[in-house]
Amino acid sequence: MIPEGELLRSRVVTDLATALEDVLDRHLDGYAVLAPRETLLGAADGRGVLTFEDGVPACAYHVETDRGGPAALGDVGAGPYRFELYALEAAALEIAHDADELRVPPGMPAERLAGDPALATRTRRRAGVDADRPDDGGALEAFLEDEATVERIRESARREARRRAEEWGLGDALADRPDG
Amino acid sequence: MVEAFAVASGKGGTGKTTSTLALGMALAEEYDVTVVDADTGMANLLFHAGLADVETTLHDVLVEGGAPVEAATYERFGMRVVPCGTSLAAFEAAEPERLRAVVADLAADADVLLLDSPATLGSKSAILPIVLADRVVIVLQATIPAVSDGLKVQEYALSYGTDVAGTIFNRVRGDVESAAEKADRYFEGPLLATVPESEAAQQARAAGRPLLAHAPDSEAATAYRAAAARLDPRDGDSGDVADRFRSAVVPDPP
Repeated sequence: MIPEGELLRSRVVTDLATALEDVLDRHLDGYAVLAPRETLLGAADGRGVLTFEDGVPACAYHVETDRGGPAALGDVGAGPYRFELYALEAAALEIAHDADELRVPPGMPAERLAGDPALATRTRRRAGVDADRPDDGGALEAFLEDEATVERIRESARREARRRAEEWGLGDALADRPDG
Repeated sequence: MVEAFAVASGKGGTGKTTSTLALGMALAEEYDVTVVDADTGMANLLFHAGLADVETTLHDVLVEGGAPVEAATYERFGMRVVPCGTSLAAFEAAEPERLRAVVADLAADADVLLLDSPATLGSKSAILPIVLADRVVIVLQATIPAVSDGLKVQEYALSYGTDVAGTIFNRVRGDVESAAEKADRYFEGPLLATVPESEAAQQARAAGRPLLAHAPDSEAATAYRAAAARLDPRDGDSGDVADRFRSAVVPDPP
């Protein structure tokens, strides 16, 4: 649906707010491909696409879940991400931007995915919507509806906690957990 | 009789220190409360509690031949408050392993010990408050990274046999009720409160006063009092807590 744009940058970002702010400051027409860490490690195809009009987030789509809008932001989940930014002329994005089911409220990626309310307010102001009305928790809700992803985060944290406990000499302080 | 709570979040900016002091003040109406800045690397509590100008802080206690903890303990707002200083040199000179003994001493005299914990899980000294506490209060924001990090804090706590007292959704903007309910399914403790983003909290910080002293009638303060009421501190054996702190494994130097 979206033709390939001109790759501007590709890097791993832990702070998505900085990346989104850069897009806003550039007044970019184009899109970003976000791949969470799990995808970087070769797991599921968890890439999400976020398009921009004049630097303002417009649409979101998630490849693996085939969902759009706030749900796709939830599917993208927490970082760090491989963040690839592409420039693409606005006309080439028109078809995607006409698809209502893909639209996201302009401030929502900053508000819920990047956790930067000030950037969300700035973004809404640029978009000409009520800057002081925060977006609802839609993206977060979608994230929490995905029990498998939440369970993966918990499992991974459990493993990390145990591994680090051994590294830090805290192994004796670990509790016996049946699922540990 | 004591229960030690670590107030923790996986990331910064969640309003952890505001939450620690708010819970402390609310609990102080019924209990003897001691609040400790256990984030020795990024001291914050002193600014929130009007202690920015004090001469002696926890850092001075944590050096060899340092001051007794009483010298860094201040009676403020109905609580005992033990702040850290902000000097990097003092932080580097401080020996975190001494923190255990200090906290053990404080535990002997308090009903409730609140440890304002570092906003990271990345080092041994950062997770020590979670390891040592009886229960952890997880401070969240209604964002995907904050909830994701909160889940990690929970798993770390449970791995060390530390229970989850509950979660606080803090600095809430917009309608997130439904998201908070969904999050509640994944956390062991109850949702203690949803605290709205509040200018009063920022003004309180600027004034060097805890939110409950600065704006006791604010919506946020009311929410914190409700959270504190749900914590229901357990009677513990203070000797038991003190022993736990004393015997905890020595953390790495910073």
